[in-house]
Amino acid sequence: MNPPAPAAPRPRIIALWSVLGPEAPAYIAAMACIALASALAYGTPLAVQLAIDVFAGDAVQDRSPPAAAVRSWLGGDAVVTQPWRIATFAAVTALLAGALTWAKGALAARASQRAVRRLRERVHAHLTRLPLGFFDRHSSGDLVQRCTSDVDTVLAFLSGQVTEIGRATALLLAAVPLMLLTDASLALWSLLLLPAVIGYGLVFFRIVRSRFLKKDEAEGALTARAQENLSGIRVVRAFGRGDFEAARFRDANDLHRRLDERLFRAFAIFWASSDVLCIAQLGLVFGIGLWRVSEGTMAPGQLAFFLVAVNLWLWPVRLMGRVIADLGKATVAFGRLQEVLNEPEDAEPAQPVAPAIRGAIDMRDVRFRHSPTSAWALDGLTFSVAEGETVAILGPSGAGKSTMIDVLLRLRDPESGSITVDGVPLERIPRATVRAAMVSVLQQPFLYSRSVDGNIQIARPGAPREDIESAAETASIHDSIRRFESGYATVVGERGITLSGGQRQRLAIARAVLVDAPVLVLDDSLSAVDTDTERKILDALRERRGRRTTIVVAHRLSTLQLADRVIVMERGRVIDSGTHAELVSRPGLYRRLHDLQRELEEAVS
Amino acid sequence: MSIESLLDEDQGAAPSTIDWRLWATVARVALRRRTAALGIVGGGVSIAIIEGTRPLLNGALIDEAAAHGISARFMWMAWVWVALCAAFGIGVWCFIAFAGRLATGLAFDLREQAFAKLQELPFSWFDRRPTGWLLARLTSDCSKVSGIAPWVLLDLFWANALMLASAAAMIWMRWSLALWVLSVVPLMVVTSIVFTRIMVGSSRRARRANSTITAYYGEAIAGIRTTRSLVREAGAEREFDGLAGELERWSLRNAMQGALYLPVVTTLAAMGAALLLWRAPLVDGLSAGELVAFCQYALLFIYPVQDLAQRFADLLSAQGAAERVQSLVDTVPDIRDSPATRAAVENLRASGGPRAGCAIDGNPDRITHVRFEDVHFAYLPGQPVVSGLDLEVRRGETVALVGATGGGKTTIASLMCRFYDVTGGRVLLDGIDIRERPLEWLHSRLGVVQQVPWLFADSIGANIRFGRLDATDAEVREAAVRTGAWRFIEALPQGLDFQVGEGGERLSHGQRQLVSLARAVLADPDILVMDEATSSVDSETERTIQSAIDTVLKDRIGLVIAHRLSTVRRADRILVIDQGRIVESGPHADLVRRAGGRYRALYLEQFVHDRETQH
Repeated sequence: MNPPAPAAPRPRIIALWSVLGPEAPAYIAAMACIALASALAYGTPLAVQLAIDVFAGDAVQDRSPPAAAVRSWLGGDAVVTQPWRIATFAAVTALLAGALTWAKGALAARASQRAVRRLRERVHAHLTRLPLGFFDRHSSGDLVQRCTSDVDTVLAFLSGQVTEIGRATALLLAAVPLMLLTDASLALWSLLLLPAVIGYGLVFFRIVRSRFLKKDEAEGALTARAQENLSGIRVVRAFGRGDFEAARFRDANDLHRRLDERLFRAFAIFWASSDVLCIAQLGLVFGIGLWRVSEGTMAPGQLAFFLVAVNLWLWPVRLMGRVIADLGKATVAFGRLQEVLNEPEDAEPAQPVAPAIRGAIDMRDVRFRHSPTSAWALDGLTFSVAEGETVAILGPSGAGKSTMIDVLLRLRDPESGSITVDGVPLERIPRATVRAAMVSVLQQPFLYSRSVDGNIQIARPGAPREDIESAAETASIHDSIRRFESGYATVVGERGITLSGGQRQRLAIARAVLVDAPVLVLDDSLSAVDTDTERKILDALRERRGRRTTIVVAHRLSTLQLADRVIVMERGRVIDSGTHAELVSRPGLYRRLHDLQRELEEAVS
Repeated sequence: MSIESLLDEDQGAAPSTIDWRLWATVARVALRRRTAALGIVGGGVSIAIIEGTRPLLNGALIDEAAAHGISARFMWMAWVWVALCAAFGIGVWCFIAFAGRLATGLAFDLREQAFAKLQELPFSWFDRRPTGWLLARLTSDCSKVSGIAPWVLLDLFWANALMLASAAAMIWMRWSLALWVLSVVPLMVVTSIVFTRIMVGSSRRARRANSTITAYYGEAIAGIRTTRSLVREAGAEREFDGLAGELERWSLRNAMQGALYLPVVTTLAAMGAALLLWRAPLVDGLSAGELVAFCQYALLFIYPVQDLAQRFADLLSAQGAAERVQSLVDTVPDIRDSPATRAAVENLRASGGPRAGCAIDGNPDRITHVRFEDVHFAYLPGQPVVSGLDLEVRRGETVALVGATGGGKTTIASLMCRFYDVTGGRVLLDGIDIRERPLEWLHSRLGVVQQVPWLFADSIGANIRFGRLDATDAEVREAAVRTGAWRFIEALPQGLDFQVGEGGERLSHGQRQLVSLARAVLADPDILVMDEATSSVDSETERTIQSAIDTVLKDRIGLVIAHRLSTVRRADRILVIDQGRIVESGPHADLVRRAGGRYRALYLEQFVHDRETQH
């Protein structure tokens, strides 16, 4: 039932760009803004350099071209008498850099948020079109995880990681020529520890990954422990095992605490040593610069420029190692998403026909199994239902009754055999058309987290109030609904009140009745309703629908007797069929059921 | 409390103020780890002082180098500089390592407290709260609170100390220039507060939209068959697109606010530097070194201000989590031992424990007789589930409860176990009100077999031993043999060590039932309450289960919510329950002959089908 999932395709980081789609130009514009903003950020260190040069009275001639260029642009020696010129330069470059940083943030946020919304919509639309078999193979928790947190990881990649790396790179790329022009040798000294700074982060975050995994495992174990306890809380309480459970939880809790703390200690060592490494780089620049200043071969302004400039790029560049190490997460997440997106959707007919379905159904030798290795769920199923006929289906569990309904509704496609509706091959009719014409009530109907009337009109939105209420009356649920605190507005489903099995079934019947389709299929959908109510519902249905095709899976003799014909199924095929009178007259499941009842009637009277 | 309101509670409007009382409670738990707290504060304050003095030292070094070259004084200062850097590294290590200890310790304590409380709360409390919701309290809420705690503590000291040290150093150097530089700090603070408030709001809206989407996915997958068979794909897509749009709107708004906040604060700091460059030449005797120091100070203020704003945001966004954890810890269970019972247990314990044959409260240890007197019960006020029930069961007697679902059968069984307290009348155990006996004792005399038996993801042996923790292997095995479970266990390669999987999923329904019966047998309870499984099993297993039930119920007070004909027939007494009342009572042979009786109708309708499909 659970074949190993195919190995996730490993898309390269570049494949993630495809997510951007039409937002790519905006995203590239954001990158351009980062580049410009990073260059402009060096206005501040240049201004500091100029100010100090002016201040120190040009004791040592500062001949560095960038500062000289700015100086002559600001009016040459006028800066000495009018220091506000330098201050204004600093303020204007900072403002421009700020504005560009904002533009970058806004552009990148808009582009990535839009792209990710489209991705979300695509994943969801795809899920609603995947074959049911896909959902048999995947746990819902895993799927929800892919659709939510994997998408979030992609978003974090686009809106955060890429721009982080872009900013650090741009800051470095803008600094290198400026520093080289200001003082080539000090520039080289200031880049000396750069590979170590980046490499250290990269290596550390790769090494620490195994500790992360261990901690995550312990966290998973802790959650599992708590979940076990909470799911089985009634057993725990019934046996008075609270203390025992608390001790077991403490073990898991403590293991998680220890591993988490171990991770923190690794981080403490990393950040402390990486801080010291960065400060050493700064100290190197500072020390050599001071020595040069004392020798008179460097102006104090130049040194000040280096101190401020290196501080500007060093810290973002240090983080790059971590960000790069994290990129793997984004590719894994995207790979998991692509795995879902690459699953083929339910195929639709190449040349669809859309007949007005009246309800004559014919199945010939239909075979179906859930996977190539499992047993046949339908094994040569053959039967037909005439238009307007009411057919009941009886059979032990596992006989293939629900699978037959899945196949009839085109929820699953048979492996061989033919199914026709009004003489038209079923596979040529689009799935939606089939399901719209054959409304079904499943054995365990699903209620959506919304109001009662929202649930009833889910297949016919905007149905008038009186139609909804009359459908509810047909399903004998109207009075129960009226007794709810908020009546038809009562919220049901996961986030609302819990209905009893019988109430759920009746609500689902009301939902199907509202659609009023040519064929009605009830898959044991009255099993939790008491016999009297069941009779009432079936009578009301007959009155309302007149002579239209109805297929009822049922176990109760009283229900079976109402049908025109009964089909008895076992092991995926029809073993008997006929009217009540015919089936009673020959040995078989139906007769045994009937005899047993009569025997009991006689025994007790 | 409806589930809807639980969710609202999770995602309600963003609080705009910090609930200091609540956080003080959290802090009291966190500060139990005193060394860790001291380490964080010590590390934070020392690095703040180092960062706050380094520009000063930088300036002095520049001036010294420019004036006297590499002098002895210069070298002395240079060594101080190096020493400060080393101390800085130690400080960083110190606060991170201790932050780890505090965060993980706090998470441990919060989880421990919350878990212990969960083991005490009554069933009625669990009825209204889905398991997933409770699990989130223990996991994500606890980590959220403990994850921010050390950083709030750190920044409270580090950021303030750094700002104070920097301001003091600047004022000490040139107070007039310092005021110009510091003039932008209030602006930065105000900006940060305003932005933080706005961003906390939008981020909460975005998270709310995100959790709605997660729930929507869960629903889409769980209801996939229904959605398809009702041809609702297009409608669902429209709805989802609406939700995705909502999520995009709020996340984008939040991201845009963030995109504005950072450059604004950075630019403000640069403005401080610009002001400095404008005013500096007007200050007499300012040295180049001092100017460099001032420039560094001017650019330093961004970090503490930003960090404080971030902690403020953290506190606001984790406040909901803290509230939920705290209110769980503070919940007082409404079913617990009465003060008199507690006193009796205490006294007895102090005076050397109960006599033989007596329970921990001094009353008889064994239960031989249960009596319901005019019992009333309602889960919700005004909606009675049990009304005016009288019932008496003696040791060795088995009573079968039958009737339509929702009639109150399970409720009656739960009242016998004191999983709920009656809302009227009383339940007597050998003449003593059930509410006057210790819960711990009661539950040790009780065996419960659920309709869908819950097994823990452990071995079969461990699951059986759950009934009596000190049972020997031989006793566990004997319990398995007595219930007939041994036959299938024996056939498993790992025998009793077989891992049953989550909820027991690796065993069939019938096997789970047998294991849970063995668990109950091992506990040797006086009262056995059993909710029979409705799902059909093969006839072989059915027979084994039947004889296991006979074994289990022997010489006990048996209460069975019966779904099987065979059980009903063997019961000493059958009670037909409808709307919380006994409408018919008597042995099978009598009831089935009662013309027009409820039991007879039920028998014909329901049990006939069971019998047919089981053979």
